[in-house]
Amino acid sequence: MPDWQQQLHRRIEANGHTCDADVLAELATHATLAYEAALAESGNAREAEQQVHALIETWVREAGHLRRCSRRSSAIPPPAAGGSFLASVAQDVRYGLRLLGRQPGFAAAAILTMALGIGAATLVFSIAYGVLARPLPWPDAHQLVRLTEMRQGRTGRISGTVSNGTFNVWREHRTTIDDIGGWLTQTATLTGAGEAIRISSVPTTPSLFRILQVHPLLGRLFDEGEGASAQPGVALLSYGLWQERFGAQPDVIGRVLHLNERPYTIVGVMPRGFAFPTSDARVWTAWRVPPVTGSNGALAGVIFRATARLRTGVSPAQASAEATQLARQAPDMGLAARALFGAAGPIDVSAVRELEAITADVRPAILVSLAAVALLLVTATANVGSLQLARASTRRREITIRAAIGAGQARIVRQLLIENAIIGLCGAAGGFGLAAAVRRVLPSLLPSEFPRLDAVTLDLRVLLFALGVAMLTSVACGLLPAWHTRRSALSGALAEDGAAPSGVTRSAAARTHALIMAGQVATTCVLLVGGVLLARSLIALTQVDRGYDPVNVLSARLPLPPGLPAERWRPLLDGVTDDLRATPGVTAAAYSSGLPFVSSGGFAAFNMRSPITPDTNIEVQATRRLVSPGYFAAMRLRLVEGRVLSDTDGATAVPAIVVNRTFARQYLGARPLEVRIPQGGAHAGGVAFVNDQADVRVVGVVEDMRQDRVDAPPQPEMFALFQQVQPTSLQGFDPILVLRTDRDPARYVSTLRTVLRAHAPQLAVDSVMTMEDRVTMSLARPRLYAVVLTCVGTFALLIAGVGLFGLLSFSVAQRRREIGIRSALGAQTRDVVVLVLRQAVPIVSAGLLVGIGASLLGGRSLASLLYGVGPYDALTFVAVVVVIVAAAALACVVPARRAARVDPLAAIRHG
Amino acid sequence: MATSSLARELKRGSTEVLILALLEERQRHGYEISQLIEARSQGTITFHTASLYPTLYRLEAKGLIDGRWVERAGQRRRRYYRLTREGRRALAAQRSTWETFFAALRSVAGIRHA
Repeated sequence: MPDWQQQLHRRIEANGHTCDADVLAELATHATLAYEAALAESGNAREAEQQVHALIETWVREAGHLRRCSRRSSAIPPPAAGGSFLASVAQDVRYGLRLLGRQPGFAAAAILTMALGIGAATLVFSIAYGVLARPLPWPDAHQLVRLTEMRQGRTGRISGTVSNGTFNVWREHRTTIDDIGGWLTQTATLTGAGEAIRISSVPTTPSLFRILQVHPLLGRLFDEGEGASAQPGVALLSYGLWQERFGAQPDVIGRVLHLNERPYTIVGVMPRGFAFPTSDARVWTAWRVPPVTGSNGALAGVIFRATARLRTGVSPAQASAEATQLARQAPDMGLAARALFGAAGPIDVSAVRELEAITADVRPAILVSLAAVALLLVTATANVGSLQLARASTRRREITIRAAIGAGQARIVRQLLIENAIIGLCGAAGGFGLAAAVRRVLPSLLPSEFPRLDAVTLDLRVLLFALGVAMLTSVACGLLPAWHTRRSALSGALAEDGAAPSGVTRSAAARTHALIMAGQVATTCVLLVGGVLLARSLIALTQVDRGYDPVNVLSARLPLPPGLPAERWRPLLDGVTDDLRATPGVTAAAYSSGLPFVSSGGFAAFNMRSPITPDTNIEVQATRRLVSPGYFAAMRLRLVEGRVLSDTDGATAVPAIVVNRTFARQYLGARPLEVRIPQGGAHAGGVAFVNDQADVRVVGVVEDMRQDRVDAPPQPEMFALFQQVQPTSLQGFDPILVLRTDRDPARYVSTLRTVLRAHAPQLAVDSVMTMEDRVTMSLARPRLYAVVLTCVGTFALLIAGVGLFGLLSFSVAQRRREIGIRSALGAQTRDVVVLVLRQAVPIVSAGLLVGIGASLLGGRSLASLLYGVGPYDALTFVAVVVVIVAAAALACVVPARRAARVDPLAAIRHG
Repeated sequence: MATSSLARELKRGSTEVLILALLEERQRHGYEISQLIEARSQGTITFHTASLYPTLYRLEAKGLIDGRWVERAGQRRRRYYRLTREGRRALAAQRSTWETFFAALRSVAGIRHA
């Protein structure tokens, strides 16, 4: 008999193939049996041999398929039952790790999704906890309350302040509080300790440190009575200033430093970490709140921030009531009150817990961000859950086999939970790392005035939060597949290899899967609506008409030494602006007492006969801006009627003012240019003109200029020329230089410094900035809100898109056989695509409906953050729906194409 | 043309079921399987011997059948295949699929299978 194995080997090799010895041996056995049968039938060896040769040739043609692959077991051998509890957990962990290792794509997608979700949640939680919840660093800080005085419902020109009248009367008659302390914030030039620098100095009442219950590191605190204007100045150094400027020398006590050229004796050094009111404070000076009526009988009004310590058992409301009652009995501050509060009506004092007061501005943003990341985390969890569900459906056989060979339900559930815990822990580790990385750059991301950032730390509490979230999400992700496994009948699961066209278990899993997806779409919708509304609001804020043109304007503040008379600095600044105007590229240069975002410039309150109803006297309250003639051109204030102030309005000429549109409407009636305002009488905080005899003429009306916030109603403003105002009135402010250029204004910073140095080498400008940068900086907070919510929303959209893609792909794969049968029975490509879309449309529609409903309900909470766009803006909702539908359509394309390409016969054959 | 293509596909698609069904009774070797298919289908299914082994190896790779060499006294060494537990489930499922398929065809086109 021929050697069939050798012949086979030769023939197959000759055709460029190889076969393993095992396959050759098997085929040779077949050939031998066939030869024997043929020989037995025909008795002709040659004929039998020919038959077998023909058979060998068919094998040679199929040699490419004659390959026995070692069977890759459907799973790594599952851990055996039995053994100690710890050992079996370790087994489960090893098994889970190996399983994940076998599916690196799934593992990476799940861990990355969880890391992003947990990272965002951890970061925002750490901010929310650190800023809103972590107690302030003073003993019994919950007893500290911040005070705000209001008159006729209006807060002081600087919000969150009280007046000296209220402060002094309450301090004197207090029963609900231990004590009350007040402070101002200033920037001062420090000399006498190395090179002169500008530092933040805080004039503080001696009582404040006792309220805070802090103790100095060196020396003593201020004594009661220190700080009166007649007393020598005393100062406390911050730890940082002591280190940097005084070499941390212990003998610093008793030395003298100069702030704005006034001497202060150093009496103490505060401990490291003492930061009040903010970490910017470098030095505290003793300050006494002046009485309303001075020793010379003149009325003095001052507003400042104040904090009180409640007596034990007293609520903030009780303290408010006492303060309000006492304040209403305080001496009348007269027109000063109007200048400071814009009203002289009944006083109300509110006491709000210090922590709440400090964080009031950022609380809504943090809460919105917290809600956004919570939703994102839910979406991420749901996505991993649905990935697991899809995976579990394909693993049902493995799981059921394990159940069949004796693994208890609890053990199987535990295995699934451990697998998810591995994903959750890896996600938590990644998320924590991500949060830590972002935490480091947080100060540069957040607006500079964001409070308590130093209290934001990633400590044990935050770590526990991240781990807790990871565990919760793991359980949520793990229980879904476990629950479905429980529901799946053993036989059904095992029979699945044949992929029945439909079945109870598959439809139950699909329902859960669809619900999760609809939830994801709804979440995405809510986040995107919020993000788009905030982004549109930001655009509106950027483009809003501020009444002046901030483009190509450079501005700088010029701190003047105290006591420098106007007769000296005015000619100096005239010379500086003349030189600047002569510089090529500079189209206008001016200086003023106020500028948007820098300083309002002062307030004026005076009485005049109403031009509208001549029989009545009206009380005018306005922002007072003293300007040089070039100011209107430099700021490009739009003239509504009349003319702007110019050099022709000489010092002794008839006093002329320009008012803004709001001033004209509120006080001057229909023909503002005909109004003459008599001088004389009380004009506390008003304007004292050089020519104090002639009536003041309103020569022009300009458009309202927005000082800081565009969403605040415009205030009445009046403009007067420096040259027409008595030099004695030109005190208490640092002039601001403004120049308009015909190119990038930032290029003129060095020109500005050079020109100033030539005129006054001892002066230095600060806060040098383009007007556009000031606008941009003022929008840091709305920009942050918009960026956070839009980013989170986009990420959620991505997650939902991937989730929908996964769901549909999985469903198409599961329904391959059904699709094949439908196609074999005549279904067209269009019908098959419709089949896939029919699954996606209800999910996306339901998600959108819920999402839109939730957005409408939650709109009100967003309203306070919006400008120029309502929370129910139809265009935004339509745009978000379009984007989500487009993303969903994109997610459907590949699965639908895949379904359309299902080869009916292949599907029926292989399932 | 389309009809003959369908017939060809159906035959090829049925090979796996046939093999699984033959192994349901007892374990068999390749030559025996090829003989039985030809005999039992009475020539209706002209089974191409060339595709037998690729099909066997595919089923083995899927874990539906399990092959092993057996040496019996007086016989040469042969590789026997037996149905695995999974193979048994798969066969049941495939039978139900074919039932469904024929039921569908029957309801639409009035086609009946034997």
